[in-house]
Amino acid sequence: MTRFQRFPVAPTGLVLFWRAAAIAVAGVIVACALALSGRNPFELAGLVIHSTVGSRFGLEDLALFMTPLVLTGAAVTLTRCIGLWNIGGEGQFYLGAVGAAGVGLYVSGPPILILPLMAVAAMVCGALWILVPALARAWINVNEIITTLLLNFVAGFLVYWLATGPWRDRVTGALVSTGRLPVAIPEMWGAVHYGFPVSLLVVCALAGLLRRTVWGYEVRISGANPGAARYAGIPMRWRIIVVMLISGALAALAGMFEVAGTVHRMQGGMANNFGYLGIVVAVLARGSCMAVIPAALLVAFILDAGIVLQTQQLAATTVLAITGLVLLLIAIADELAHYRPVGGIGQGKASA
Amino acid sequence: MNLEGIGTRAHLEQLKFKGQGRRAFLGGAAASGIIRPVAAHAGTSLGPIREEDALIAFGHTGPITDGGWSTAHDLGVKAVRKAFPRLKTIYVESIPYSADATRIFRQFVAEGAQMVIATSNYGDFIRDVADRAPDVAFLECDGHSVTRNLGWYYITHWYPSYVIGIAAGLMTKTNRLGYIGTFPIPSVYASANATLLGAQSVNPDCTMQAVAINSWFDPQAATQAAFALADSGCDFLCGITDEPAYLRVAEQRGIKAAMWNLGMRDFGPKAYVSSVVLDFAPFYIEQVRARLEGRWSGAGHFLKTSMGVDRDPWGDTVPPEVAARADMMRDRILAGYSPFRGPIYDNAGKLRVPEGVVMSDDQIYQWDWGVRGMRGLG
Repeated sequence: MTRFQRFPVAPTGLVLFWRAAAIAVAGVIVACALALSGRNPFELAGLVIHSTVGSRFGLEDLALFMTPLVLTGAAVTLTRCIGLWNIGGEGQFYLGAVGAAGVGLYVSGPPILILPLMAVAAMVCGALWILVPALARAWINVNEIITTLLLNFVAGFLVYWLATGPWRDRVTGALVSTGRLPVAIPEMWGAVHYGFPVSLLVVCALAGLLRRTVWGYEVRISGANPGAARYAGIPMRWRIIVVMLISGALAALAGMFEVAGTVHRMQGGMANNFGYLGIVVAVLARGSCMAVIPAALLVAFILDAGIVLQTQQLAATTVLAITGLVLLLIAIADELAHYRPVGGIGQGKASA
Repeated sequence: MNLEGIGTRAHLEQLKFKGQGRRAFLGGAAASGIIRPVAAHAGTSLGPIREEDALIAFGHTGPITDGGWSTAHDLGVKAVRKAFPRLKTIYVESIPYSADATRIFRQFVAEGAQMVIATSNYGDFIRDVADRAPDVAFLECDGHSVTRNLGWYYITHWYPSYVIGIAAGLMTKTNRLGYIGTFPIPSVYASANATLLGAQSVNPDCTMQAVAINSWFDPQAATQAAFALADSGCDFLCGITDEPAYLRVAEQRGIKAAMWNLGMRDFGPKAYVSSVVLDFAPFYIEQVRARLEGRWSGAGHFLKTSMGVDRDPWGDTVPPEVAARADMMRDRILAGYSPFRGPIYDNAGKLRVPEGVVMSDDQIYQWDWGVRGMRGLG
């Protein structure tokens, strides 16, 4: 007799299998819904595939979408390693944009110097933005989910204020926008700029830091078992503070890449939910830094497909519903991956 | 293969794929590299298109059911479809002011659109796409860039706003006008300033409090702003939002409101004074025709009073003498008069337009300061 038992660890192979099934089920549901509303789902699917992975233009857009998602996803994944949630990626993204734009607009020099300076300024701003939640978490145990989340709104309004007030573009009258930055991250492949490979390298470096160093080991122990970590003498406060500051800096770097590579101006609303989507990426990546890259690719694909579907007269809300459906089914799939068939009692041997 | 004199490669690809399925056509358009810089030869790349081959794409800032701005543009799109029944139009609603706008415009190009019309000022987001798609004609409402294949169009809403401002100046009892602004950009300055100057021309004590809600379409924020303005003593609301939310507030609070985009009296019949009504249909039809015939080129266009923009017939509760006095100015404007003449002072008291100088439409379109009595707009 075969029965199913829930195991605490889900093997990667099973996760991938169930997720592939989930995506297929989501595809079938969406196709049925589209067919019921009188559209040809095969034609739409063909168009989506062609416009995302089947054409140079689609691949460029995927890379541009992935660049910030990889970094904001890594920011959340890093805090997950120590058992915390950084929900403030959106705000740190904005602060990164502020730091980068401040340097880009008001410091002049050769791009080879200005661009790294922009990145450093951005990361410092992002780290400062998460400093208070980090200290509050480490010393007085204030829930970082609330503090980081609420600071997002402050950051959003700060950018609106700068872009409509002191830093406003008075030359072209662009909407809620600073002037165009005189420096830009060079493009390497069509519209794809060097921020894309750099973001991938940053994630790889982060994975190495967590997997191959004592510091990373201590962070992971602190997250997996705080009691044991404290007993082992790991300075948890400092680990929490440093992890959160790095997390803020990563999300801020995404803001710098977006402002210096893609948008070229600091604008209200430019974060485009990349901070929040970073949480989705981290959930999909299940705490693994390297898995952030394929997870970001999947989210980028969904976003890119959404744009194609919008031009096919599907409302933006329909696209949001499809995204939600995919993520819901993936969450179910992740849970299913914990179950494995085991042999009946007394048989003593797994049947699969 | 020598392409000169025949047309661009993209154009040839389109010819090659004609008659095949839509997907094949799209494949051709994208594979040919429309979105990459293509060596353009003036006069050949924006050549004529057959009506049945034409794809015209519209990008809206809000939902086309907003009852205002995007609805007004969509009426123009419908008129285009009626005038050219064989061409295809596509649209995308609620395009954010972010890099997503660039992606959507690029997608329009990849799907083979020969003309892309953005009904709001996407600035660099459209400019970047236009520069890389020289075969495609781009139009940007409220834009400021003109290149070979990118132009802008805008309604001279400041004239009807001035006319409505006269009614506001005569009807307000507190001498405080409220303005629901969106962004501190020239078109919003022009609208608010024009209304206030109209009011001050008949009631010099009038002032205006403006609020910027940082969105074109955010009925909730507009409602909150309208309540705040009413609470602060404003008894006449006007604004430049895409939808009619603040008219409902005015109706509820027993004050007056003037709208814009479309006639909106049903949303608040007692509060309704008038509206700056927009009609993009003739302009869109003319531009699409020019593109089809290969005559189109990038330029700036003002849609003038009674030719795309006018005031709506006055509301039921507007006293006839007020309406008559305001309409006197409307008649003078229609005859060619401009009320935007010096002296005009800014809100810091500095003389900006000297006595005897008339502001041109180009200057009004670049307005970036508030007139005397204006508060809340940068």
